[in-house]
Amino acid sequence: MKDLDFVGKDVPRVDAEVKVTGEAIFSVDVTVPNMLWGRMLRSPLPHARILNIDTSRAERMAGVKAVITGEETPFVFGVSHMDQVPLQTEKVRYVGDPVAAVAAVDVDTALEALERIKVDYEPLPAVFDPEEAMQAGAPIIHEGIERNIAANPCYNIGDVEKAFQEADHVFEDRFETQRVAHVCPEPHNCTAVWDASGKLTFYYCSQMPSVSRVQISKALGIPESKVRVITNHVGGGFGSRATSKFPMDFAAIVLARKSGRPVRIEYARDEEFIFSTFRHKFIMTVKTGIKKDGTITGRHITNICDNGAYCDYGPVVTNVGGAMQGTLYRFMNYRYDGYTVYTNLPYGGAMRGIGNPQVHYAGETQLNMIADRLGMDPLELRLKNAVRTGDETASGAKLKSCGLVECLEEAAEKIGWKEKRANPKPNRGLGIACGVHFTGVRLSPGIDADFAGATMTVNDDGSVNLATSCVDIGSGSSTALTQIAAEVLGIEVDKINTIFGDTETCPMGWGSRASRNTAIGGMAVQKAAEDARRQILEAAGVKMEVHPDDLEIRNSTVFVKSAPGKSMSVADVVRFNRYRKDGQAVMAKYHWDAPSQLADPETGRGNFSMAFSFGAKAIEVEVDPGTGQVHILDVAASQDLGKAINPLGAMGQIEGAVHMGLGFAMSEEIALDETGRMKNPYLLDYRVLTSLDMPPVSAILVETNDPIGPYGAKGVGEMATIGTPDAFVSAVAEATGLYITDLPVTPEKVLLALKRKKSKKKAQ
Amino acid sequence: MKREITLRINGETHKLEVENRRTLLEVIREDLQLLGTKKMCDMGECGSCTVLLDGMAVNACLTLAVDARGKKIETIEGVAQGGNLHPIQKSFVDKGAVQCGFCSPGMIMTTKAFLKKNPHPTEEEAKTAIAGNLCRCTGYVRIVDAILSAADSVKE
Repeated sequence: MKDLDFVGKDVPRVDAEVKVTGEAIFSVDVTVPNMLWGRMLRSPLPHARILNIDTSRAERMAGVKAVITGEETPFVFGVSHMDQVPLQTEKVRYVGDPVAAVAAVDVDTALEALERIKVDYEPLPAVFDPEEAMQAGAPIIHEGIERNIAANPCYNIGDVEKAFQEADHVFEDRFETQRVAHVCPEPHNCTAVWDASGKLTFYYCSQMPSVSRVQISKALGIPESKVRVITNHVGGGFGSRATSKFPMDFAAIVLARKSGRPVRIEYARDEEFIFSTFRHKFIMTVKTGIKKDGTITGRHITNICDNGAYCDYGPVVTNVGGAMQGTLYRFMNYRYDGYTVYTNLPYGGAMRGIGNPQVHYAGETQLNMIADRLGMDPLELRLKNAVRTGDETASGAKLKSCGLVECLEEAAEKIGWKEKRANPKPNRGLGIACGVHFTGVRLSPGIDADFAGATMTVNDDGSVNLATSCVDIGSGSSTALTQIAAEVLGIEVDKINTIFGDTETCPMGWGSRASRNTAIGGMAVQKAAEDARRQILEAAGVKMEVHPDDLEIRNSTVFVKSAPGKSMSVADVVRFNRYRKDGQAVMAKYHWDAPSQLADPETGRGNFSMAFSFGAKAIEVEVDPGTGQVHILDVAASQDLGKAINPLGAMGQIEGAVHMGLGFAMSEEIALDETGRMKNPYLLDYRVLTSLDMPPVSAILVETNDPIGPYGAKGVGEMATIGTPDAFVSAVAEATGLYITDLPVTPEKVLLALKRKKSKKKAQ
Repeated sequence: MKREITLRINGETHKLEVENRRTLLEVIREDLQLLGTKKMCDMGECGSCTVLLDGMAVNACLTLAVDARGKKIETIEGVAQGGNLHPIQKSFVDKGAVQCGFCSPGMIMTTKAFLKKNPHPTEEEAKTAIAGNLCRCTGYVRIVDAILSAADSVKE
């Protein structure tokens, strides 16, 4: 392979300059003339029948331009289950379920108008615990859904019972995770603008604008060509924008149509915590069979996902962790029983890793418990069982590149695993965990497609306009895609303008979800760029009277390989090609569908992703036995990302993911009261780690050059989130002798555990 | 109740009529369309709306516009001069300190006030300086790196 000029280089972000000057416009910065402010009225009860809604007093108020109820938003929607409408008409299912919306000249008027809407409710029995909700006789939240089980994703591979019989030890442990929020810096917001021709322009901070367009068009019964979704820059997403926030979207769209004026709805921070969805709470039981020599014979995981009142991504979230736990180790007897259970609580959604961080937390923490119980080194235990390149895993994944062993070894090396374990210090502990995540995915039943698109024009001056279906939500995808285009075309990064997030100028794609932008979006860009390159070389061949195979492009110049002195600028080639009789423009497009497969409906098996990223986390902590405070001394985070298209960006992704993972491990929790109202919807009470809380992080890039991805690249952003809580909990366990199996590991829990341990010792 | 006030922002004078209760953040974003200053929490918990008042970093969401009268107000729009990025901005770009970019203006304003007071900070001091500015993307690693590197470039 020729030396790479742009791929693999620390290119500064293409959008960094406009972001540091404040010029970057986010969707929340968009205002349009004559715009109204919309707000939604939400249910104060967790489960109730709606008897009557009287909006007349709100409608009469000065400054109120439109009031709507569910009668005017009869759109049924959902991600996998069509179980939701924007505004409820018959019953409400959680505290916060929207029932009406108003548009007014300012937010204060809108809020006052909401107070004048009278809703009569008849309270219904509610259920707040998923294990109770699954019992016969529990209140039914959605008609026709028995025991409130919305979905039951399962894997049943090999013979797990036989595997347990063949094992020398079988261990079973229970784990719980809490709800955590995305905390996107930019709050969810949208602005709906209808014009006289019946066209809707929708400014919306979406990760998937093309998909939003389809959904809006279908619901309203208007052509897709009459719906334009524009994201602008997006202030973080982390999965929360991976589907439309339908109640908000449709409320704004219908209010705008009714009032004849543009309408903006924007969440305040306290609304953002709950109504932008969050990471689901899981209750997991892990049963593992293991031989004396450490070989895992089989695993059975049961996972109860507290779905909340509506599905959103819940069934997918319940599924993914199951698929991925069958992709990490070499055992071939695997069973996973997932239950997506409705409760009368706010509903979760997709969040970075989509259920995988939770299930990995349970599986990996249990493996460390087992290592302790058997007196084994947790690192050795992992190395013994780790999957390797060429494996076909229990889940059916075909691993064309796998750097799991290297990731484990490098993270361990960096943290000083061997030396520190040989010389333990009081109150200190080391923890290790590893993981796997997909690069794009085919896990939605019935949708046999996982694609991205790119279009490209080379201009008269040799500069390039590139449009992608991938929204850069902060991950750096636009920069990586620009580097890939530059590399293929031989045209410098600063001559390429990459745009995203406008359904009128960008091709369709799934958008930003499932760690797919660099790899799947990158392949679409690579293929389009190869086509544009071919067009340039053919035109240059005509002009220079050379066979195109004898030409190459570097530094925006076309060279004759056999006569290096002979050259022509790309700009001259493009102009020659365009301004001649029967001329052509250099334009290219590509729609790339990743070569993955849908799972077998019986067993759940399938090669469901084009590539799998692996990683490991090693963490050292020191516990203060007097206060229960855990000080993180060091974090090593390694990741097999195939190929780092932009190492600077990849390291930033990993460091940020460790930050999010540590918050999940030790400080973040959406605390709900007995009716499901959030008790801590403020950033002082919901503790995102500050700069002072962050330990040193060593991000380690492991390159395995995947044979499918562009230049060998695989996904980064989600895998990097996985493993941090598992390694953290295990490090705390080594320091204290106690595993805390329900996240987050707060100082209170540590202190309580230490106290219990002390009294137990005394009793002995 | 409305009041006529004059605000001096980035060297320019603006005569405005504002309600007493409105915050500086609302007035600079909504009335003056200086959209670089971001609103994340609107209650002084995240630092994304940081602006400088007489060189001091403050949360614009906790400052009444009427209380900013007579003060020298600096927002992110005033940091780059003559089309050139300020060394702090340059450092944020080069060091990979920006991801989604929503916290970046606030971070940069905080850094500007901080480096003026403490031109030779330690890593710990830099971390302390931005402890009131939340970032959800970076884990702060490269932001701290950018601050220290900017301090070096200012020194040189």
